[in-house]
Amino acid sequence: MIKARFSGSRFRDILTGYLFISPALIIIALFGVFPIIYAAYMSLHRWRVRQGNFLGLANYEAILGDFRAALVFFAALVMLLIAYWLYAEAFKGSKQRLGFKILAVLLSLGAFYSASRAWKQMMASGDDDFLESLIHTLYYALGTVPSQIALGLLIAYLLFQNLPGKEWFRVLFFLPYITPVVAAATVFRGMFSERMSSLANQALTLIGLEPQKWLAESRSLPELLFGLNLNGFWEGPSLALLTIMIFGIWTYAGYNAVILLAGLSGIPKNLYEAAEIDGANAWQSFKNITFPLLSPVIFYLAITGFIGTFQAFNHLFVMRNDFARGTVDVASIAIFDSFYKANKFGYASAEAIILFFIILLLTIAQFTIFNRRVFYG
Amino acid sequence: MASQSLSQTVQKRLPTEAYHFKSRHLLTYLCLIIGAFFAILPFLWMISTSLMTLGETINRQVIPANPQWQNYVISWNEAKFSTYFLNSVVITAVTLTGLLITSVLAAYAFACISFPGRNLIFSLLLATLMIPETVTIIPQLLMIRGQVFPLPFGPSWMNSLQGLSVPFMASAFSIFLLRQFFATIPNDLWDAARIDGAGHLRFLIQIVLPMSRPVLMTVTLLGFIASWNAFLWPLLVTTTAKWRPLMVGLWTFITEAGAETHLLMAGAVITIVPVLIVFFLAQKHFTEGIATSGLKG
Repeated sequence: MIKARFSGSRFRDILTGYLFISPALIIIALFGVFPIIYAAYMSLHRWRVRQGNFLGLANYEAILGDFRAALVFFAALVMLLIAYWLYAEAFKGSKQRLGFKILAVLLSLGAFYSASRAWKQMMASGDDDFLESLIHTLYYALGTVPSQIALGLLIAYLLFQNLPGKEWFRVLFFLPYITPVVAAATVFRGMFSERMSSLANQALTLIGLEPQKWLAESRSLPELLFGLNLNGFWEGPSLALLTIMIFGIWTYAGYNAVILLAGLSGIPKNLYEAAEIDGANAWQSFKNITFPLLSPVIFYLAITGFIGTFQAFNHLFVMRNDFARGTVDVASIAIFDSFYKANKFGYASAEAIILFFIILLLTIAQFTIFNRRVFYG
Repeated sequence: MASQSLSQTVQKRLPTEAYHFKSRHLLTYLCLIIGAFFAILPFLWMISTSLMTLGETINRQVIPANPQWQNYVISWNEAKFSTYFLNSVVITAVTLTGLLITSVLAAYAFACISFPGRNLIFSLLLATLMIPETVTIIPQLLMIRGQVFPLPFGPSWMNSLQGLSVPFMASAFSIFLLRQFFATIPNDLWDAARIDGAGHLRFLIQIVLPMSRPVLMTVTLLGFIASWNAFLWPLLVTTTAKWRPLMVGLWTFITEAGAETHLLMAGAVITIVPVLIVFFLAQKHFTEGIATSGLKG
């Protein structure tokens, strides 16, 4: 931060400062901050279009089911974080602390067990639609963010070779990001429709595979590929959700590449020269120079990407299909449904507040996990 | 003699090295072309399908036999795009104007004027970037309906220009981007302006803004994209066609036109083209602005 900069008369400066920031601050306070407080207030009431009785935490209880189970679930997640921390601590210093490692493994096993038990209890007594939507959100986040970043890294690395025509490739890769989501999702609806004539099915028949129902397929990937019928969390994403993941990756890979390319360009060239003199091969210099120096950028993309997937709405809304039977309904879609279709404003607000806390928790968790790996140059 | 043989060996080795150099690049090009093909495949498919007849979309045609240009006219009329297109232009222009004014003023104050609580307010402002739209949208809708507190300019902002634009007339991210740039402006300039008797506003308009053209372009472009592509909020706020923007119009068209893929694709092309024109005219500002913003964030 810059200390006292351009100073005129002190009093007039202060007045001008507040005057200048007030239009922006008023709008952000009114439409950005106040709604959170108001949503919290709404979530404590029966509120169907109009405000009703004060309910306390009843909305939350209806969503999460057994409160005790929800607490156990939360505690198990915290335990997992602690286990991770212990495990990482065991590798610190020269001594291999075997006890720490064993403790960490035991702790994480216990956490997994109690988390899945608590989750079952919550599913038994809570709102299935919302709890399942959280699992779908998790599938969606895990299916898109890492592959988006990996693909972005690959594209950035290729563009970094500074070949003629690099600018044009950069423009083409960036195109999906600026395309209106509704229009692009409409195009994907056509490309991945269940009709035989859709582009995806034509491609499948071309390589001798059976056509699929894509966005209209509610069966999960393990079931389709291996005939496995799993339940609950391990059921896996449906083919419809996978199709939407492809859309997500298509949208963000190029965007990530552009940012990573800028990060690559910021790495001093002489590091690579020094590594080459020392006889390092391409992979070694990537592992020991590029990746550590790029890690803050990757971290930034991972955090914003995860938050983004938890808020994702537009393309899921456009591509959802009745035949997918709710397997693509992520948390934001579930909230929209209980608010817009069912008119349960208070209930939807409670769901939104829960989502807000999940995003907050995830961000904090990512900070603690990545912080020890990120190298700030 | 020795030096001659050395230069000979160098010359002998040169062609092979040049060959290696090229083959590596060939591979890079190949990967880039494959990647770029998948990036633009949906666009190619969209354009190709938009020019087909209904029969061709069903019969697995890849390219239309005779481009059906009238599809665009049919789609434009059926989807009532003339109203929606104009609405989108007006909403985007009004939102952008407001966004630029509030952001430039706030960013200048945060970068160049010292007042009590400045750093604290700025940090709080950045923290608002974390707030998800899903959480704020229900209260926002009640506010726009005038059910939370009385509104100026009418009892309800539903189906109105102000309801579609005012909530987006400020952005913490734009303020952040502009502030980072304004903070690099040297002190000497302000000293000189002060001696000439200029105040903050005149200094901002006459000196700072002309110097900040690149970052202003980036903020304008990002604002344009956000406003033009907005969907969820306009979907909730426009219950009639009066102020309905293009994206919501496209969605209504999807739900009505259903199986007529060729018309849908023509509609998608119509909504995408303005964004593409702006993007190709200013792509350098886009990519570079976003790249630097990502690195600073």
